[in-house]
Amino acid sequence: MKNKINLYLIEYAINAILRQKAKSFFIVFVFTLLTFLLTSVFFITSSLKYELDATVDSLPQIIVQKIKAGRHYDIDEDVVDTLLGIEGVEDAVARVWGYYYFANAGVNFSVVGLNEYEKQYKNSFEKIVKKIELEKDDKSFMVVGRGVQKVMNKSYYKEYFNFIKPDGTLKKVNLGGVFDADTELESNDVIVMSKDSAREIFDMDEDKATDVVLKVANPKEVRTIVSKIKSIYPDTRIITSDDLKVSYQNIFDYKSGIFLALFIVSLFTFFIIIYDKSSGLSSEEKREIGILKAIGWRVDDVLKEKFYESFIISFFAYTLGVGLAFVFVYMFQAPLLQNIFVGYSQLKTDFELPFVFDFQTLFLVFFLSVPIYIGATIIPSWKVATLEADEVIR
Amino acid sequence: MIELKNITKIYEINKSDKVIALDDINLRIKEGELVVLKGASGSGKSTILSLIAALSKPTSGEVIVDTKKISKLPDNFASVYRRDNIGFIFQKYNLIPTLSVKENIILPLVPLNPDASDIQNKLDIVTNRFNISHKENAIVRNLSGGEQQRVAIARANINDPKIIIADEPTANLDEKLSLHFIEILRELKVLNKTIVVATHDPLFFGLDFVDREIEVHNGKIVV
Ligand SMILES: Nc1ncnc2c1ncn2[C@@H]1O[C@H](COP(=O)(O)OP(=O)(O)OP(=O)(O)O)[C@@H](O)[C@H]1O
Ligand SMILES: [Mg+2]
Repeated sequence: MKNKINLYLIEYAINAILRQKAKSFFIVFVFTLLTFLLTSVFFITSSLKYELDATVDSLPQIIVQKIKAGRHYDIDEDVVDTLLGIEGVEDAVARVWGYYYFANAGVNFSVVGLNEYEKQYKNSFEKIVKKIELEKDDKSFMVVGRGVQKVMNKSYYKEYFNFIKPDGTLKKVNLGGVFDADTELESNDVIVMSKDSAREIFDMDEDKATDVVLKVANPKEVRTIVSKIKSIYPDTRIITSDDLKVSYQNIFDYKSGIFLALFIVSLFTFFIIIYDKSSGLSSEEKREIGILKAIGWRVDDVLKEKFYESFIISFFAYTLGVGLAFVFVYMFQAPLLQNIFVGYSQLKTDFELPFVFDFQTLFLVFFLSVPIYIGATIIPSWKVATLEADEVIR
Repeated sequence: MIELKNITKIYEINKSDKVIALDDINLRIKEGELVVLKGASGSGKSTILSLIAALSKPTSGEVIVDTKKISKLPDNFASVYRRDNIGFIFQKYNLIPTLSVKENIILPLVPLNPDASDIQNKLDIVTNRFNISHKENAIVRNLSGGEQQRVAIARANINDPKIIIADEPTANLDEKLSLHFIEILRELKVLNKTIVVATHDPLFFGLDFVDREIEVHNGKIVV
C-alpha cells in the first residue's frame, strides 16, 4: 500500500492543471515553443554536421590547379604522368568540371566530366560509369542529382537538356539517370557527363583539364609531396583537404554561432518565465497550499503533488515540442530555419536533411527545461508549505 | 483530553508592534464535551482554536491532547495529528472552489492513498449524514452558502476525527440555516465528538446540549 503509486494525488495534479486553463495553456505554449526551437536547431545542427563530415571525408587529399596572374587556368592533362612519378602519390586524375549557370531557375549546377576508361576519383562516380554509358550511338548522356532533376523538370526538360555553349550554340545532352546520393550536400547539384561533352560545354581544349586531384598513400607525406609539386610546377596552386576542411568548418561554425546566440536568447526567455514563477505564488495558490496543510497534508504531500503537476505539464510540453521539431525538421525539412544553416551552398535546389537520431540532443533539451521548470515550481511551493498554516489561510 | 497550560500567544507585526492575542490562559476540555467559546471580535477565540488544531504554535505554554504535547510537534507530525484527530470547520469554509463537492470532501484522504471502495464508503457516510449527497458532482463555487458549509462539515468528518472545531460557523448563514447548523452540532454531540465552537452568535447561548460556555476577553478567560 505504501509503495503503490498514489493515483488520487496524480488525479489531483491533473485537475489542478486543468482548473487553471489559461495559465496552463500559456505555460504549455511557451514551453513547447522553446523545446521545439531548441530541438529543431539541435536536430538541424547534427544533421548538417553529419553531412559535412561525410563531405569533408570525400574531399580529394590534394588538388593541383594552374595559376596565371593569380587566376585559375586549365591545366595540361599530361601533367598527370609527371605527378604519378612523385614518390608517395598513389593516384592522380585530371578532372574536367565547372559550374553551369541555369538562367531559367537562377541556379548553378556543377558539371563533372568523366572518362569511362579512367580511374575515377570518387567511388560514387565509379558506380555511375559502370551503370550508364555516357556516350552511345552518337548521343551524349548525363546523370544528375535529384536537385538538378527537379529544377530541370520545372522547366519541362524531362528527357534531355540543351546546354548553351560559350559561342551561343546548343549542346543537347540526354538524361541517362539520377544520382543515388551518397551525401546530399555534394551530389544534389551535380551533373555527370562524359569528359568530351563537358569540354564542349565549357569550350575547353581536348588536352586540358580543370585541375588534377591526387591520392596519397600516407597522409603524413602530404606536406612533402606538396612542396615537391611546387618545385616542379611553380605555376600551380595546391589545395589540401585540410585547407578545405578548415574553410568548410569556418562557415559552419559561424552559422552555428548565430544559433548559439538564438539559443541563448530562448534560454533567457525561459529563465524570465522561471523567474516570474519563482518570484511568488498567486494568493489563490498560496491559500490552496494552506488549506491542504490545514486539513492534514504534510509538506511532502504538497510537494509531491506539485512535482506531479509540474512534471506532467513540462513533460507533456517537452514531448510535444520534440515531436513537432521532429516533424518540422525531418518531414518538412525545416522550412525557414534550414536556409539560415545551408546558406553556404550556392545552390538553392532542395536539399534533404539526413535523419540523425541523437539521444544526447534530446537529453540536453530535457535537462535544460523539465527539471528547471519543476524546480521553479517546487521551490516557491515549498516556501509556502513550510509556513504556519494558520498564517497562510487567515 | 485537551489541555491548554499557561498559553501565551504574541503576534509580532513588526519589531515595535506586538499583539498579545492570548495572555497566560489555562483551559481543560474533557472528552465528549461540547464547549462554546464566546467573546468580542479580536478577543482571541480563533487563536485558541488554531492552537488546539496545531495550525500555529504558542509563544509560551503547552497544548496537550491525549497526553501528546502537540504544541511541540514538528510540522509534518502536526499535519498527521490534524489529519487523524481534527475536523476543522473554518469560518470561510476554506474549500477549493473550482473542485467538485466530492473532490473537496475526500481531500484529507488523498495523501493516504486509500482503496477506491474505502473512499466511497467514507464519502457515502458523510454526504448522507450532512445531506449533501445529491450535489456530489457539483462544483463548489456554484453552491449556496449553506451548501458550502455542509461540504465543509462533511470534509471535516471524512476521517471520523475525535475533535471537531468550528470557527464562527453561523457568521455567513441566515437564521434558518444557523438553526440547522445547531441541529448538526447536536448530532455530532450524539456521535460523542469533542467539540469546540467559537462564536458570538447568541443562538448558541443557553443550548441544552452545550456543556460549557467560556467567555474570552482580551486574550484572557473570564471566570
Ligand atoms: N496572524 C496574525 N498577525 C497579527 N495579529 C493577529 C494575527 N492573528 C490574530 N491576530 C490578532 O490577535 C488578536 C486575536 O485574534 P483572533 O482572531 O483570535 O480573535 P477572535 O476572537 O477570533 O476575533 P473574531 O471574533 O473577529 O474572529 C486580534 O487582535 C488579532 O488582530
Ligand atoms: Mg475569529
